[in-house]
Amino acid sequence: MILTIAVAILILMMMVFAVYSVETKDLLYAVVGTMAVSLIVSILFYVLQAPDVAMAEAAIGAGISTAVFVIAIKKTERYEHD
Amino acid sequence: MNFYTVLEYIGMFLVFVGALFLFLGALGIFRLPDVYNRLQAGTKATTLGAFGAIIGIGLMRPEWLPKAILIAVFILMTNPISSHALARASYRRGIKLWDRSVVDRYGPYLREKEEKEGKR
Amino acid sequence: MIKKSIALILIAILFVAIFFTLANDLPFGDNRTTTGVSDKYIYHGVNDTGASNLVTAIVVNYRGFDTLGEVTVLFVAATGVGAVLYNMGRPAGKKRKKTEASLIVRTGSRILFPMMLLFGAYIFVHGHLTPGGGFQGGAVIATAFLFKYVSDTRYHIDHNKFTATESVVGMTFALVGIMGLLLTGYFLFNFLPNGSPGELLSAGIIPIIYVAIGIKVGAELTGILDNMMEVEQ
Repeated sequence: MILTIAVAILILMMMVFAVYSVETKDLLYAVVGTMAVSLIVSILFYVLQAPDVAMAEAAIGAGISTAVFVIAIKKTERYEHD
Repeated sequence: MNFYTVLEYIGMFLVFVGALFLFLGALGIFRLPDVYNRLQAGTKATTLGAFGAIIGIGLMRPEWLPKAILIAVFILMTNPISSHALARASYRRGIKLWDRSVVDRYGPYLREKEEKEGKR
Repeated sequence: MIKKSIALILIAILFVAIFFTLANDLPFGDNRTTTGVSDKYIYHGVNDTGASNLVTAIVVNYRGFDTLGEVTVLFVAATGVGAVLYNMGRPAGKKRKKTEASLIVRTGSRILFPMMLLFGAYIFVHGHLTPGGGFQGGAVIATAFLFKYVSDTRYHIDHNKFTATESVVGMTFALVGIMGLLLTGYFLFNFLPNGSPGELLSAGIIPIIYVAIGIKVGAELTGILDNMMEVEQ
């Protein structure tokens, strides 16, 4: 029961972060949003007893891809234009 | 009441203390006024909280104690470094201190350094 | 405005339909793996391959050819990044002055960098025993190099050495497959003894292939990061 509630809260947080990272105009905030999504996804994978996938998601989704996005934003522009 | 039971109770107590400090850290991030104060709460309290939880679990399951100590040492090294880098970056980026802050030692140091490098 | 609201309503209907169907039919975390091919993997995997981590057994042994394709995809991605960024204004002599990292970060990186490399190596060497494997370990190694880049503005990897390492390791993967083809008649077939599950030297060709994949993925991701860091604004 407690696990179900915790998982439900995590999924809700994930949806909020996903919508936020799509909607915001500041690309750096959007990158932080996607990082939060992949972090929560990795926790969910761990709860579902898939530690291999959880490790891959945490290392690649939250680590490397965030760094690549941040470097790309630093070299180009930070704000999205209409 | 044998030795392992005592260890388990000590471990439970440490986990409880750790959870308390983690909660205080989260509360501090929520309540404090500016970036530097929040980093303070988010580093010191969470480092101690994670320490309590990890060492407590290591005491509850003594076969995991070496790994737990390794993780704790890793956290002890990475957490302050990352928060130091964050605070330094945000100061250089020009984020203001809270208007009721008392002391700012890094600003005069930075200006002095810039003057020295300008003269050269 | 109307378009947007119609899209939102459609998404909401779809979400409700899918969510409640799934929630009724498949409860969260339910065990449904007792039919079909997964049954065979679960009950015969350890005996067939000698790897105590079933995921690794499937990824490297049963589905080894797919993994070769995956590594190729990553290689093509790294090559693509290098090709796109090749002519985009390398710093020609005068470089924009960057802020040097502080003493604490530099000292910390000197201490932590070997530890991070060691952790990545641990993950892919123990891929057939504990969770993790080549891709995860390679990503951890790339993170270690990223930390080195962040802490030292003058740090650069030697591209030629990285490319040579990557090629040698990739050829090792293909050679193991070809040796399987020669000795047993099937590409990437396990031609080494299985050993006893749970020991470091067991599971036949899985440790060799995972060490190769780990080094290759680490070198490729580091190459991508290096290409992106060196481009001027």
